[in-house]
Amino acid sequence: MSEQSLQKTKARPVYRNIGMGDLANYRLPIIGVASIVHRITGVALFVAIIALLPMLQMSLKSEAGFEAFRTMIWGNLFAKIVLISLLFAIVYHLVAGVRHMIQDGNKWLDLSAARSTATAAFVISAVVTAAVAWRLVA
Amino acid sequence: MSGQSFTQEWWLQRISATVIGLYALLVIALLIINGTPTFAQWQALFNNTAFKAFTLLALIATFYHGLIGVLHVWPDYVKNALVRSALNAYSWLAAAAYSLWAVYILFFLK
Repeated sequence: MSEQSLQKTKARPVYRNIGMGDLANYRLPIIGVASIVHRITGVALFVAIIALLPMLQMSLKSEAGFEAFRTMIWGNLFAKIVLISLLFAIVYHLVAGVRHMIQDGNKWLDLSAARSTATAAFVISAVVTAAVAWRLVA
Repeated sequence: MSGQSFTQEWWLQRISATVIGLYALLVIALLIINGTPTFAQWQALFNNTAFKAFTLLALIATFYHGLIGVLHVWPDYVKNALVRSALNAYSWLAAAAYSLWAVYILFFLK
């Protein structure tokens, strides 16, 4: 009885789909960020193949092509930023994918583990990307 | 999605992911150990039959994995049936063209 009257005074919760317009006021937790970045990196990589295959072809075709890649593409600061971002996308998609497959095995599903492994996925990816980029730039 | 069962698709997505992941780890390890390769090193690596075969396997796995991925992602954001069909057609065509292109680069480039 008393529980029923208490419920009447509370505003009923509203569950609804989140539209694009709500994105700005919606605070996505780190677990959600890890999930959406896995998606975004996946789609970005699928689309980027169209630019990466010609680069592979150019680098293998001849020594001149290989040097042209090094000077024209890798030598261009903007292109270098794009390529290092794609490297991060590859590494992050892999690390988050491994986490996903571990979660398929019913591990790391409780809130604290899901949170800490989501954070770890970003940290590990950043470190590996930095290590490879440093070796390629040096 | 493509007529096959979702269970089969679920497994294939994870098997392809494992192949791509192992290949990515190999290449990342080579780049960290070796640093930027010279053209001679790069060419020698891709003339190695085992590496060439692993590259082709990993690339085909990537195109398949990416195709299944984007076919699941488009309908979550694109509600217009015509645009969705166009994106699906683009995805299939891209995956098929990428596969042929990869075979060309690895085996017929001269």
